[in-house]
Amino acid sequence: MKNWIQAFSVIDFISVGILLTAVAMNAVKRLESCVKIYTLNSWLLSSLIAIVALMVGEPHLYTASAATLLGKGILIPMFLKRVVRQMRVTHDVEPYINNALSLAVSGILVAVVYASLRQGIFVSGFSKNVLQISIAVILIGLFVMITRRKAITQVIGLLFMENGLFLAGFSLTYGMPIIIELGVLFDMLMGVIILGIFAVQIKRAFASSNLDNLTILKG
Amino acid sequence: MEYLQFLIILFFSPLIQGMIKTTKARMQGRVGPGVFQPYYDLIRLMKKEMVISHVTSWIFKATPYIVFTSTLAAAMITPVLTTKASFGIMGDVIALIYILATGRFFMALAGLDAGTSFGGEGSSREMAVAILVEPMMMLSIFTAAISVGSTNIARIAEAQGMVYSPSHLLALSAFVVAIIAETGRIPVDNPDTHLELTMIHEGMLLEYSGRYLALMEWAHYMKQMLLFTLGVDIFFPVGIPGDTAFAGLGVSFALYFLKMCCMAVLMAAIESTRAKLRFFQLPSLLGGAFVLAFLSLLTYIMMGR
Repeated sequence: MKNWIQAFSVIDFISVGILLTAVAMNAVKRLESCVKIYTLNSWLLSSLIAIVALMVGEPHLYTASAATLLGKGILIPMFLKRVVRQMRVTHDVEPYINNALSLAVSGILVAVVYASLRQGIFVSGFSKNVLQISIAVILIGLFVMITRRKAITQVIGLLFMENGLFLAGFSLTYGMPIIIELGVLFDMLMGVIILGIFAVQIKRAFASSNLDNLTILKG
Repeated sequence: MEYLQFLIILFFSPLIQGMIKTTKARMQGRVGPGVFQPYYDLIRLMKKEMVISHVTSWIFKATPYIVFTSTLAAAMITPVLTTKASFGIMGDVIALIYILATGRFFMALAGLDAGTSFGGEGSSREMAVAILVEPMMMLSIFTAAISVGSTNIARIAEAQGMVYSPSHLLALSAFVVAIIAETGRIPVDNPDTHLELTMIHEGMLLEYSGRYLALMEWAHYMKQMLLFTLGVDIFFPVGIPGDTAFAGLGVSFALYFLKMCCMAVLMAAIESTRAKLRFFQLPSLLGGAFVLAFLSLLTYIMMGR
């Protein structure tokens, strides 16, 4: 079993796939596609955990994988899709800077991360490359958060950051105790629901979910 | 023997073009022309009289020959059936890209030369696309070149096994986008018509007729097959022998033909399923592909494979 994981470098492929979905966030123009890309990212994350679980044979990793798939891969995307549908109009992401430039910036971010963590400082985990990729995903998530106008895309940026953090923790420690992971997952679900409701409320109050409107004081 | 392998590109390139056209027609539910139609077109064009605008300079008349010979020269340094290098140290991928760029430069000049607005439009668009495509192509090839330690195409082809690592997969996807952009296929340019205001490649050829047009078209087919060959050499060089033994060449030819058919079907599938992008959306696509190539290089450097 371990042989084919090693032979086809499955872990490398999946982790690069996770990075690629994060970079692709910068290229898409529609809110639905953002949600789809996030879903793909979560599925890849879940399958990475499952593969590592197969490799090291730790039973609690299977639970983590299943919880990730259920929470981040199914429940949160379903809810986000509902929110996007509730807001009805304007599918556009409306970034502050155009797509080509934000793609370039995300490429540079990845380069900076790779260059600064070149030597694989923490080599105790299952792969010395996953930490770099996870930090790159965190930074790209942050970048997405600060360059998008819509409330929902900011939520998705936050979710990408969380996925990156989860991956970083996982790559260093083979996963935290299951109780903590479940707690984090539950918190995040709540957070997304609250933010989603907020987004819909902002949309109702201002007839647009553009966060620039919130800078004007109302009195 | 190995000096003659460019003849395959010279004589089979219209066939590849015909195969792409026929496959595309079948995918769209049409009957389409036969696979040999480009040959008939070329022969017919060769026989036709030329009409040359009297305001054009020598550039206009020299360009078809420059474009054709530069493409042929590029074909000569590419390993097709065997990696036994035809022209030794000259078989360099950077040289190849710049030989092709020479042809492109003169084609753009000729587009401007006749002084029609369509020609100028085509030239400026071609250059705008070229600025984005060339570095991307270089980067995606460099990923393979670094892993081998040589920019010689034959050395790269010898050293590569199957596509195995994430970096190669990323580089391959960027390279496919580069091929599409360089050959003027659908998300970038529509190759079927010169009746559109959005044309790029056809716009530059609009003033040509007869023998010159045949040369330009043939050079375009050759460039297309050359890029396919380059992609195959760099990313799937399975079964390409290092010598010119007869049995090896036979197997290599069969495999090569198979790979070319796969490329043709791939191109037809992309053309049938995608819509043409607006010109101002191209930087998004090509920039995305550039980031892919960049990531492939980074991933290679980080993972070491």
